[in-house]
Amino acid sequence: MSGDQQSVVSQRWFTHAVWAITALCVLWLILAIWPDWLVGLLGRKKVFVNALLNGITLGALYFLVASGFTLIFGLMRNVNLAHGSLYLAGAYIGFEVSRVTGSWVLAFPIAFIAMAILGIILQVFVFRHLDGQDLQQTLITIGISIVLADLMLWRWGGEFYQIYAPDWLSGPVETFIQSSLSRRTGEPIFIKYPSVRLFILICAIFIGLGMWYVLNKSKLGMLIRAGVDDREMLAASGVRIQLIFVGVFAFGAGLAGIAGVVGGTFQSIAPGEDTRFLLSSLVVVIVGGMGSIPGAALGAVLIGCAEQFGSVYAPTYSVVLTFVIMVAVLAFRPQGLLGRD
Amino acid sequence: MAEPTPTRDVGTEFALELAGLSKSFGALVALNNISLKVRPGERRAVLGSNGAGKTTLFNCITGDFPPSSGSVKFFGEDITFFKPHERIRRGLRRTYQISLLFNGLTVLDNIYLACRGVSNGRFSLIRVNSSDPVSIAADDLIEIANLQDVRSSLVSDLSYGQQRQLEIALALAGAPRLILFDEPAAGLSPKERSDLIQILTRMPQHIGYIIIEHDMDVALSVSNRVTMMHNGSIFKEGRPSQIENDPEVQALYLGSGHE
Amino acid sequence: MTYAISTKRPAQEPPRTLAHWFDPTRIPAHIWVIAIILLLVPTFTSEFTQYQIFGWAFILGMISLSLMILAGYGGMVSLVQMTAAAAAGYAIAIFGTSAVTEISFAWPWPIAVIIAILASVLVCVISGALAIRTEGIYTIMITLAIGSAFFYFTRQNYTVFNGFTGFNGVQTPVLFGVNWKEPTPFYYLTLSVAGLSYWFTVHLARTPFGLALQGVRDNPRRMAAMGFSVNAHRLAAYAIAGVLSGIAGILLVWSTGQISPNTGSVGPIIDILVITVIGGINRPIGPFVGALLYVLLRTYSLDFLNAIGLDGERFKLVIGLTFLVIVYFSPNGICGIWDKHIKRLWQPIKLEEHNG
Repeated sequence: MSGDQQSVVSQRWFTHAVWAITALCVLWLILAIWPDWLVGLLGRKKVFVNALLNGITLGALYFLVASGFTLIFGLMRNVNLAHGSLYLAGAYIGFEVSRVTGSWVLAFPIAFIAMAILGIILQVFVFRHLDGQDLQQTLITIGISIVLADLMLWRWGGEFYQIYAPDWLSGPVETFIQSSLSRRTGEPIFIKYPSVRLFILICAIFIGLGMWYVLNKSKLGMLIRAGVDDREMLAASGVRIQLIFVGVFAFGAGLAGIAGVVGGTFQSIAPGEDTRFLLSSLVVVIVGGMGSIPGAALGAVLIGCAEQFGSVYAPTYSVVLTFVIMVAVLAFRPQGLLGRD
Repeated sequence: MAEPTPTRDVGTEFALELAGLSKSFGALVALNNISLKVRPGERRAVLGSNGAGKTTLFNCITGDFPPSSGSVKFFGEDITFFKPHERIRRGLRRTYQISLLFNGLTVLDNIYLACRGVSNGRFSLIRVNSSDPVSIAADDLIEIANLQDVRSSLVSDLSYGQQRQLEIALALAGAPRLILFDEPAAGLSPKERSDLIQILTRMPQHIGYIIIEHDMDVALSVSNRVTMMHNGSIFKEGRPSQIENDPEVQALYLGSGHE
Repeated sequence: MTYAISTKRPAQEPPRTLAHWFDPTRIPAHIWVIAIILLLVPTFTSEFTQYQIFGWAFILGMISLSLMILAGYGGMVSLVQMTAAAAAGYAIAIFGTSAVTEISFAWPWPIAVIIAILASVLVCVISGALAIRTEGIYTIMITLAIGSAFFYFTRQNYTVFNGFTGFNGVQTPVLFGVNWKEPTPFYYLTLSVAGLSYWFTVHLARTPFGLALQGVRDNPRRMAAMGFSVNAHRLAAYAIAGVLSGIAGILLVWSTGQISPNTGSVGPIIDILVITVIGGINRPIGPFVGALLYVLLRTYSLDFLNAIGLDGERFKLVIGLTFLVIVYFSPNGICGIWDKHIKRLWQPIKLEEHNG
C-alpha cells in the first residue's frame, strides 16, 4: 500500500478502537454494580441509569420528529419549518382521539393519517408549486407555522394537556439493570423504569429499522435514493417522481404526528411545543447530518442524553451542552456526523 | 501554418509544476500520477478525448478541489492547498467552458469586477470616482479586448462569440502570468475561430497559457508544446509537429479533431 | 445556489454602468418629501405615536435592515440579527446602570455602548463563521438554532444575565441636558440613527465592497475566480450587520429600560424575518416599510379585529396570513408590489414630458 493509503487505514482502526472502548465503558457502567469510589464521584447509579434511559427515550422521541424532517430534506431539499406545527397538531388530535374514544393506541394511526393529509396538501400546494425556489418555500412554511400555531391556540387555548397511557402500559417495569445489592438479603436490586417509555423506545427502534430497511433494501428505497442523487434522471426514466415526493412528504408528516402523540404521553401538550420540537429537530439533524436517517438516530440519542445528563448533573448549563455539541459539529464536520461529504 | 517561436529559457523556475498529481472521485480515477512542467511564457496545449481528465486537471490547478495526492507549484510556490482566490492573486487565470459571466451586469461591470478582484480596495466602503486606478485599468482592458462597441451592453444581450471574447478579457485583468483556457473555441464560427487564434498568438510573451481544446487545428496552431492525455494519464508530449504526425496519436484520435 | 428572491433587474431599468455608479446621489424628489414629513411628525402626532409607533418602527426597521444587508446584498438569510441586538442590549444592562445592582457595572455609557456594539458584532461574526461553511439553505437553520440557544442560556443563567427576569431600570443617558428617553427626543434620536443607517445601506450598494458582496451572492465561483475571497466578504457582511443590529439593540434597551430573555426569543426572531420579507428584502427602504406596517398592526389590530367582529387576540393570525399572501404572490414584498404595479402608473406621464 502507498503511504497515504496506509495512514488512512490506521486512522480507521484508531477511530474504530475509540468507539469500541467507549462502548465497552458504557456497557460496564450500566451492567456492573458500582464500586464506592464511583458512587462518590458520580452519585448514585440509579440516578445515572435513569438519566441515561430518559436520554435514550427522549432521543427516541426526537428521532421520530427529526427523521421526518431529514427525510423530507434529504429527498426534496425542502426545509419544512412547519414541521414543529405538524408535531403539535398531531399531539392535539391524538389527545382528542384518546379523549373521545378512550383508546391510546387508536390515537397513533389517526394522528398519522391526519398529518399525512396535511403533508400532502403542503407538498402539492406549496412545495410542488414553488419548486426550485428554496427560500420562498421555507418562508411559506414559516408563515404556515405562524398561522397554524395561532389556530391551535384559538381552539385549545394555553392550558397543558396530557395524553394518558393505557392501563396495560402504566406503571414501572423491572429492568435487568442492577443498581445495587440489597443490604438485607444480598440479592441484586433492579432498577424500575416506566414501561410506556420502554415501549415507545422499542417502537421507535422498529420504525427506524423499518425505514432503514425500506430505504436501503427495497425497490422503493432505491428509487428514493436515486431521486436524491439525480432528480432529472429519475424523472426522465419514466418513474412518477412526483408521486414519490408526495408519498415521502406524507410519511414524514405522519411521523411528526405520531411523535406528537408520543410527546403528549411522555410530556405535555401546550403552545410553544411546536417551536421547541422544531428547534430540537434542527439541532438533531445539524449534528447527525442532513438527509441521513442513521444520522438522525445518532444525533437524537446524543442530544437527548446531553439534555438529560445536563439537567441532572449541571442544570444551569444543560442547554449550553447541547449548543456546544452543535457548534463543535459545525466547526469540525459541517456536514454532520453521518452526513455525506 | 507556422508554429509560434519556441520560448527562450527564462530561468530554471517553472511557471507551473505538477508532481504526481492524482485525483479520484470514489472509485473513479480521474487523474493518475500527472507530472507536468510548464515554463514561463510557454504555450501548452492539453489534448485528449472526453473523459481524459483535462477539465479535472484544470480544476486541480485552479483549486476548485484539492488533489487526492501530489503537488501543484506555481512559479516555485507550493499552491496545492491554496484557496482559488489566493491562486488568482498570484497571477493564475482561467476561462470557463460554461459561461460564468454576470448576465445581469454590463460588459464594463464585469471587467471592472475582474480588475477590482486582483487589486486593492476590495473591502473599501468608499465609493469610487472615475479617476480611480481600477476604473482606468478597466477602460484600458476594454480597449485591449476590442469590446468598446458593447461596453454598455448587458452580457445577456451579447452574442455567444462576444461572450467568449469577454471571458478571455476577464482573464487578462491585472497582471496574469499563466492563463488556463478551457475549450475557448467551442461553438465558434470559422471567422470567430480565426479571431481567437489571432488573440492567442498575439498575447504578450511573458504571459504563458495552457489551452484545452478539442479542435486540433486551433490547438496546434497556438501552442509550441503539446501534452496528450488519455484516461487520466499523460500519454505523449512533444512539439506540435511531432504530435500531429505521431502514428499512435493518429490511431487514437483519427478524425476527432477534424469535425 | 441562488435564491429566487429577485437577483434579476426588471427590464425597464436602464443598463447599469459605471457612470451610474459614479454619479453623485441624485436624491429623488419623493425621498425629500418623506424626509420633511418625518422631521415634522412630532408637530402633528401624539407622544404615543412618536414613541410607540415610529420609535419602535425605526428600531425594528434597523434590525431588519441588517438582515436585508445579509439577505438582499449577500444572499444569506440569517436569523441571528435579533439575537445580536439582544446581546447588545444585555451588554448595556450589564456594563451600564440598571436596577439590578448586583450585576451591573455602572460604567459610563459611552463605554457600555462600545462594548454593546462589539458584543453584537461578535455574535454575528461567530454565527456567520459557523454558517458560511455550509450550503445557503442551512444558514436559516443554523442561525435559528444559535438564536434559540442564546435565549435558553440567558433564561437559565443568573450570575451574568439574571435569568428569567432579566434587567430592568436600565438608564438612558442624559446628554446635553436632554433626557433622550422622553418621547420627542427619542423620536429624533431614532429617526436620525435610522436615517443614517438607511443612507449607509444605500451607499454600501455602490462601494467596491458592496458590489463585491452582490457578486458573491450572484456567482461565488466567478468571484473566487476573479480573486475575491468569498468567505472573507461574507464574514465582513456579518460584521457590518452586527454593527447595525448592535446600535438598534442599544436603542431598544434605552427605549424600554429593560431587557429579558424574551427579547431574543423565537417570536421576535421570526418577526424580524417577517418584517423584512413583507417590506421587501432587496431594498433598504423595505425593512422600514415592513416595520411600520408591523407596528401599526400590532398596536391597532385589537381594535381593528374587534371592529370587524373577530377576536382581538388573533393578531398573529392576521400577521401570518399577510406574510403568507405577500410571500406567495410578491417575493419582493411591498417594495416589489410598488415596483411592479404602482411605479408603472407614472411611466406614461414621463414619456410625454420628454416628447413635449
